[in-house]
Amino acid sequence: MTYLQAISDGLRQEMRRDKRVFVIGEDVGVYGGAFKVTLGFQEEFGPWRVLDAPLSETAILGGATGAAMMGMRPVAEMQFADFISCGWDHLVTVAAKQHWRAGSPVPITVRLPSGGGFSGGPFHSQNPESSFAHIPGLKCVCPSTPADAKGLLIAAIQDPNPVLFFEHKHLYRRIKGEVPDERYTVPIGKARIHREGEDVTVVTWGAMVYTADEAATQLGDLSVEIVDLRTILPWDKEAVLTSVRKTSKLLVLHEDTHTGGFGAEIAATVAEQAFEDLDAPIKRLTAPDTPVPFAPVLEQAFIPQVSDVVAALRELAEY
Amino acid sequence: MPQMGVSVSEGTVTKWLKNPGDTVEADESLLEISTDKVDTEVPSPGSGVLSEILVQEGETVAVGTVLARIGGDGAATPSGPPAPRVEAPPPPPAPEPEAVAETPAPAPEPATAPAPAGNGHAAGEHTFVSPVVARIAAEHGIDPARVAGTGAGGRVTKKDILAFVEAGTQAPAAPAAAPAAAQAVPPPAPVAPGELGPGEQLEPMNAMRRGIAEHMRRSLDTAAHVTSAIEVDMSKVVAIREKLKAEYVRSYGVNPTYLAFVARAAVDTLKDWPWVNAELRGESIVTHSHVNLGFAVALEGGKGLIVPVLKNAEGLNLLGMARGVADLAERARTKRLTPDDVQGGTFTITNPGSFGTFHGTPVISQPQSGILGTYAVVKRPWVVQDELGQDVIAIRPIMNLTLTYDHRLVDGAYAGQFLHDLRERLESWGESDY
Amino acid sequence: MATARVAEPSGSLGEVKEWGLDREDLLGIYRNMLTTRSIEERGHILYKQGKIPGSFYTGRGNEGASVGVATAMGPEDVGTPLHRDMGVHITRGVEPWRIFANYMARIDGLAHGRDGNVHMADDHLGLIAMVSHLPAMLPVAVGCALAFRIREEKRVSVGWFGEGSSSRGDTHEAMNFAGVRRLPVVFICDNNQWAYSTPTHLEYAVEHLADRAQAYGFEGVVVDGTDVLAVHREAKRAIEKARDGGGPTLIECLTLRMEGHAVHDDAFYVPKELFERWAEKDPIERYRVWLHENADFSDAEEEEIKLSVKKHLNDALERADQSPLPHPESLTVGVYADPEELDTPHHK
Repeated sequence: MTYLQAISDGLRQEMRRDKRVFVIGEDVGVYGGAFKVTLGFQEEFGPWRVLDAPLSETAILGGATGAAMMGMRPVAEMQFADFISCGWDHLVTVAAKQHWRAGSPVPITVRLPSGGGFSGGPFHSQNPESSFAHIPGLKCVCPSTPADAKGLLIAAIQDPNPVLFFEHKHLYRRIKGEVPDERYTVPIGKARIHREGEDVTVVTWGAMVYTADEAATQLGDLSVEIVDLRTILPWDKEAVLTSVRKTSKLLVLHEDTHTGGFGAEIAATVAEQAFEDLDAPIKRLTAPDTPVPFAPVLEQAFIPQVSDVVAALRELAEY
Repeated sequence: MPQMGVSVSEGTVTKWLKNPGDTVEADESLLEISTDKVDTEVPSPGSGVLSEILVQEGETVAVGTVLARIGGDGAATPSGPPAPRVEAPPPPPAPEPEAVAETPAPAPEPATAPAPAGNGHAAGEHTFVSPVVARIAAEHGIDPARVAGTGAGGRVTKKDILAFVEAGTQAPAAPAAAPAAAQAVPPPAPVAPGELGPGEQLEPMNAMRRGIAEHMRRSLDTAAHVTSAIEVDMSKVVAIREKLKAEYVRSYGVNPTYLAFVARAAVDTLKDWPWVNAELRGESIVTHSHVNLGFAVALEGGKGLIVPVLKNAEGLNLLGMARGVADLAERARTKRLTPDDVQGGTFTITNPGSFGTFHGTPVISQPQSGILGTYAVVKRPWVVQDELGQDVIAIRPIMNLTLTYDHRLVDGAYAGQFLHDLRERLESWGESDY
Repeated sequence: MATARVAEPSGSLGEVKEWGLDREDLLGIYRNMLTTRSIEERGHILYKQGKIPGSFYTGRGNEGASVGVATAMGPEDVGTPLHRDMGVHITRGVEPWRIFANYMARIDGLAHGRDGNVHMADDHLGLIAMVSHLPAMLPVAVGCALAFRIREEKRVSVGWFGEGSSSRGDTHEAMNFAGVRRLPVVFICDNNQWAYSTPTHLEYAVEHLADRAQAYGFEGVVVDGTDVLAVHREAKRAIEKARDGGGPTLIECLTLRMEGHAVHDDAFYVPKELFERWAEKDPIERYRVWLHENADFSDAEEEEIKLSVKKHLNDALERADQSPLPHPESLTVGVYADPEELDTPHHK
């Protein structure tokens, strides 16, 4: 099934299994969601479990927080990840900190259609995961495959902490894969080796996993290992360090912008903890420090392309 | 004393695990040391009997200091306090390796043409050592400067040093190691040399070629290359060779080539003209009491050269020389040379004339000070004196010899005298000279 | 043009009884108000003695409003009181020693030293700890009501906010959502006329904040916040309405903030006459008089309550003082919740 269908499937299974799970967001009910993830849900679960919220990220996120503290398992949807900034306060000020400072778990899941590649422009294409990676108390996951999407969504709903689920919208219908029928979870905080290799490591997540894979395929003479991080917070340091110790060359690849992107955290950690295993400087390949452009030619200059990854890997290999 | 880390300059012997008189196997732990980076055991570089301990427990010495001897034959020892990056004179012939635990296995340099690169860098050479290479080097007590580098700018990559380590633990390695290192890092498509024009084809340089290219350039940039030539009447050598050939082949299975004769004569001549068998280190002239004679061997397909070294050639007679040369050539061609075989030369002979050329100007193999070129033996009309002392024309087999020398150290007169004496020896070869 | 209903003042004992309060309840209200004030007065002293780090906020003058609303809440109801609402914590049953310990950043404080002053709550008593970004708790309170509505439980959520924080979008977004979905939530505005140094005429343009309720589709009420029984009556009405599915109400409790914004503020910007006028309406004093006049409150009873509260707080302070400071190594514990922590009794 497609990446989108996998998300739908996971959500539906959870809602059938546990009455406390409910969906709240803009246009999620009657319309089935802007991307149709919740198509048919309101028919099945009714208008009080699939809530068409007013246009208010605060009401959605603050409301989800309160409901979660009263024992529900809300799955809130931001119509586009970009709109999270309207509800930032409740995520960061209340949800992230309530357990640490007041002992109350806040088991919310926030679904965030993120990423670009289709001329969505500056406000419909962002990848804001690094902003939230910086907030203790939150968890952030970025699945790249349909199987991981379903497993991580179920894990997120089950997790007693606020989990941000970044679903890359450019993968929704383009990526298909085997997805088990039954209920299963993918552990939050564990990376996946997407491709094994010996010569150089690429650490990445989301849609960039496919870009890296295509680049690795083109570089027939180079043995490229691709680590799909899957979770940004808490991230699988061990998997990354193990891979870097093997290849001694690291490329960090993300679609988010450069400065302060999560790649910086990975690079710093590897430099700190695997310095004596490095055979080349750590390389980051990211979008530049600009808003996401609209014109396709500009967007291609913004989002790392397969050819960019090929060039970066070549450079590392030849160092 | 090995260098356990890039910044480590000394180490302390904490415990000897063997006593003088004990037998020790290669790789068996010989002693324990402590440095400010790490405490570690030092494996023995070879097998034999531990004859002498030179540094006692508790003593702290600089990296590179000889700690003990195995074999006890008082064989040639490294002169001076070897600094880790300068080429320490190699261990003497196999049965008596020294416990200089600095380099258990010298670098299998990729071969170069007449100026082989078997001897590490010229003094003062520096390339970048990445953290992982430094660590692996330290773990194995290797000087990265001895490893052939295939990375950008010729730096040693992780693969290079791992291959080197592995080569050091397997006997048949040297040229295999260099090409093996090259294979372990299949050169990626070259950094685009622009678009190819019509009629142009592109192929990447392999590791050996890159090594040769690097060495040639460096040698020419280092030494002041001048070549002097002399023509030698090889009549006597030809006659003796004819005589000996059958016997040598039958009894010893070896062919006494012209090269063997020239080498035999050259080695004696070098005794009298030591600066042609010397090395410039900084402001000092380092001469040798031995001659480690390198012979350039062309590899098949014209794809490269390797220069195996016949150690202590001054101790070999004609037969020994012929055998030594044959053995090295054979092993070179079948890729069975060891790292030891391509390292430590003090003088080199090359034979460009094997294809019929009569003159050339070979490149000196750093850090040596001279290289002898031999050329085709050609029948020429020659002016000789008859019994009456009159000039007559005879047909004589003439060989041109060239000495390319480093004019920083060797002047023309010196080189000329060397060649004069060499010619003398060859032209007056007696039947009983061997 | 005002549209909110202005509440009647409290009436006779008989009237009060109609709203479900018997004499014992009435005395309890008095005790709670007295305890509230005494804790805060004691806290002032502790702060000046250097025993309380950070800053110190009180709700002097708001005892009536806070106790009045809290008394009207049912045992299963929940609330998000703010820093002027100590009376809510006391009324719901929080032990004073835990509050002193919280002031002093001790382990046994309700926030265990991780947050200070009144950023605390006992969720077993249905209270949720506030944050500084006001009024962020309003959408959260609405979320609680949403849970009750989804599960069709007869529970009510009460959300507090100050007149200052009403200027932020959270207020609008919370009320709008609540009104649209007719959620069982009651909004309490503590209008003490000053947001730090900002007076109401620089804060909002309507006559009463409660006038805004109409914009969200529900009723707004203005009540004299110093009249604890009037507050109770209005709160009770609103809470029961919500419980019965009648949707939200906005109750604006008018008081004056009798001290500075915090202990470091001497409120020089508040006209002295205002302080004098409102001092005459002190909620505790008003109520004490009403009790004497309407409920046969005797001097002996009054004295007994006074002494009992004093002793209670003395003991509480002593006990709080025994509580240790948190250990630095505990800092990183609890950033994330474990699954076992879900579905504990207070998380129903």
